[in-house]
Amino acid sequence: MSGHSTWPEWVYVGVVIALLCYVGAEAWNIERIVEHVPEDAEIIKVTGQQWLWTFEHEDGTKEIGELHVEKGKAYKFEITSKDVIHSFNIHDYVVLLDAVPGKINTVWFSPTEAGEFDIQCREYCGLIHYNMRGTLIVEDNGA
Amino acid sequence: MVLELQKPRPIWQIMFSTHHTDVGLLYLITSLAFMFMGGALALLLRVELFSPGVQLIADSMTYNRIFTVHGTTLIFLFILPSASAFGNYLVPIMVRFKDMAYPKLNAVAFWMIPPAGALIWLGFADFTWYAYPTYSVVSAPGPAADMWIFGLKILGVSSILGSINFVVTIMKCKHPDLPLSKMPLLAWAYLTSSLITLVAVPTFAAALLMLLTDRLGASGFFNPAMGGDPIAYQHLFWFTFHPEVYILVIPAIGFMYEIFPRFSRKPIFSHGSGVAAFTLLTIVGFASWAHHMYATGMSFTEKTVFMVGTLAAVPASAMHTFNFLATMWGGRIKFATPIMWAVGGIALFFSAGAGGVVNSAMPLDFITHDSYWVVGHFHLFVMGTILFGTVGFVYYFFPYVTGRMYSEVLGKVHFILSFVGTVLVFFTQHILGLFGMPRRIYDYPAIPEWVQMNIIISIGAFIIGIGMAIFLWNLIWSSAKGKPADMDDPFGLGGKYYFPYQAKNPSH
Amino acid sequence: MKLIIGLGVILGLIAVLPAAEQVFAAGSEVGEYLDRKAAIWGLFYRLMIIAFTVGTVVSGLIVWLVLRFRESNPKAKPTSYEASGSW
Repeated sequence: MSGHSTWPEWVYVGVVIALLCYVGAEAWNIERIVEHVPEDAEIIKVTGQQWLWTFEHEDGTKEIGELHVEKGKAYKFEITSKDVIHSFNIHDYVVLLDAVPGKINTVWFSPTEAGEFDIQCREYCGLIHYNMRGTLIVEDNGA
Repeated sequence: MVLELQKPRPIWQIMFSTHHTDVGLLYLITSLAFMFMGGALALLLRVELFSPGVQLIADSMTYNRIFTVHGTTLIFLFILPSASAFGNYLVPIMVRFKDMAYPKLNAVAFWMIPPAGALIWLGFADFTWYAYPTYSVVSAPGPAADMWIFGLKILGVSSILGSINFVVTIMKCKHPDLPLSKMPLLAWAYLTSSLITLVAVPTFAAALLMLLTDRLGASGFFNPAMGGDPIAYQHLFWFTFHPEVYILVIPAIGFMYEIFPRFSRKPIFSHGSGVAAFTLLTIVGFASWAHHMYATGMSFTEKTVFMVGTLAAVPASAMHTFNFLATMWGGRIKFATPIMWAVGGIALFFSAGAGGVVNSAMPLDFITHDSYWVVGHFHLFVMGTILFGTVGFVYYFFPYVTGRMYSEVLGKVHFILSFVGTVLVFFTQHILGLFGMPRRIYDYPAIPEWVQMNIIISIGAFIIGIGMAIFLWNLIWSSAKGKPADMDDPFGLGGKYYFPYQAKNPSH
Repeated sequence: MKLIIGLGVILGLIAVLPAAEQVFAAGSEVGEYLDRKAAIWGLFYRLMIIAFTVGTVVSGLIVWLVLRFRESNPKAKPTSYEASGSW
C-alpha cells in the first residue's frame, strides 16, 4: 500500500508461531504423561444421576455422595451416567471428565494428601445442578 | 434511511421498506434493544450470585432460564443482527451498488428476527444456550424448550438468507472498476463471515431438527436409551458454533479496520495482511470445533488434532492486532469515543486470545473446563472484543443515522466504566475458575475465596450496568436534542468516509 | 507466502505428532505414581509466564502508542495523507 517494509510483520508472525509451537509441544507432552494409567490402579466405578454421585469400589462396596480412598494409591475412575450428561470433577486433584449416558470414560489419579475434598458436577444437568456435590475422603493408612 | 429524526417519515414506510439503509436501521434498533434486554438479565444473575444463598431469584429453575435466555439473546439477537445492521448500511456503498442484491430477501431476513426473539423470550427455556442432549431431550421442560428450538431454527434461516445476500452483493454486484483486492476490509469481513455462515450454520439447523424429533419421541439420534449418541449432537453443535465465534468476531474486527485508519489519519498498515488474515481465519476456523469437547472422553489423538487446529487460528488473529497497532504507529490519532472503544477492544482481544491458547492446551482443560474460567474467557471475546468494536461503531455511525452528534463526554464515561467493569468482571472470573467454581450454578457453598470474588464480579457488573444506562440515555437524548453534526466530517478528521447518506436511491 | 508457511507448519505438526505419539506413548514406569496435580498446574504456570510476558509487551506497546501518537502530544505532526485528504 504505502510502500513500507513488511519484515516486522514477518518476524512478528514467526515469533507467534514459535510460541504456539512451544505451547503445543509442552501441552502434548504433559497430556501424554498424564494419560498414562498405572497398571495397578484400582478401579472405581462412578455413576452420575440427577443429582447425586454413586461410587462402586473393586471389592463391591458402594458409596453415595462420599468416596473413601487411600493416600498414595492409584485409582482409575470409570465414569458413566444414568440419565443426562454430568461432569465428574475433583478440582483439588485436577480430575475432570464428563459422565455420558451409554459411554464409559476413564481418568486416573493418585491422592497425595489426606483430608476432605469437594466433588462437584461441572456440566449443566438441571434443577439441582448447583448442588450436585459430594466429598472425597482421603485416608492416610500409613502406607 | 438516514436523518430520520430531522425529516420524519411515517414508521410504516421504514418498516415495509426494502431499501438497505432502512433494513439496516431496523436491524440496528432491534439489536440494540435486545442488547439492553440481555444485559439486564446478566445483572439479575449477578445480583443472585452476589453472595451464597437466595438473594433475588427464588428458585434454581428461574435462574437457569435467565442465563439461557441471556446467552441466546446476546449471541443471536444482539451480535448477529448488529453485524447485519452495519453490513446493510455499508456493504452496498463499499462495493458501489445501489442496494443489496436481493432487497426483498433482505427485508425477509430481518423480519424473521422479531418472531424468533418472541419465541425465545416467551418460552424462556432452561437448557443453556447450547441445549446439550440428553438433558434437552429427556429432561428440559416444554413448551419452552420447543419454542427455543423453533426460535433458533428461524434465526438460522435468517442468517443464511442474510449471508447469501452479502455474498451475492459482494461477488456479483461489485462495481467492475473495483477489484476484490482493493475492496475495503470491512466488506471483506462481511464476505468471509458470510461464507463461514453458509458452511457452518446448516449443520446446526440439521441438529435442531434431530433434537426436536428426539424430544417428540419420534427418533433417538441423541438419546442413548434409543440407541443414540449424545456426543454426536455436541459435534454437530460445535461444528457450527466454533466457526460462529469467527462469524461474530470478524465483523467486529472489520469495524476496527474502519475506525483505526479513520481516527489515526493514515491508511491501514497492510490491506493484504488483513485480507490474508480474514481468509486464513475462515479456513482454520473449521479445524478446531472439538476443543470444546475434550472432557467428553476424546482420545489423545483426537485432542491433539483439535489442539493444533485451534492454535492455528492464533497467527491470523495476531496479524489483525499487528495491523491495528502498526496503523496507529506514526498517525495523529484523535481520541474520539469510537477509537477509544476500538483500542480497548484490542487490549482485551489479546487477553481473550491468550486465555484461548490456555484452554486449547489439552491437560489444562482438566482445570478450566466448564468453570468460571471459561465464562470469563468467552465473555472477554464477546464483550471485550465484539461488543467493544460494535459499540465503538455505533458511536461512529451515530451522526450518520441521526444527523446529530452524541455527547462525547457521556461516550467517554461509558467507555471508561465499561472497560473498568469488563476487566473487573471477566479477569476475576478467570481466577474464580482456577479456584474451581463451576459455571451455570444458582448457588454456591460459602468458600471464602469464592464469596470474595463473586462480590467483586457483581460490583464490576453493576459498573458495566451503569455505563450501559448512560449509553441508553446518550442514544435517546442525543438523537433528539444533540448538536447537529457536520455531515461531511462529523469527527473533524478530514479525509473521506463511507457514509450511508452517500447511498444511491435514497428511499423507495 | 505467509499463508503457505503457516499452513506448512500446521500440516507438518499434524503429520508429525501422531507418529511421535507412537514412539513415546509407552511411557516409562517409575515406582512413584505421577502427581497429576503438579504436572498440570506446572504446565499452567509455564504458560502463564509466557502469557504475562507477551501481555506486558503488548499492553505496554498499546499504552505507548496511545500516548505518543495522540493528537495532543507535543510531538504530534500531521500525517502525509492529511494534505490530500484521502486515506
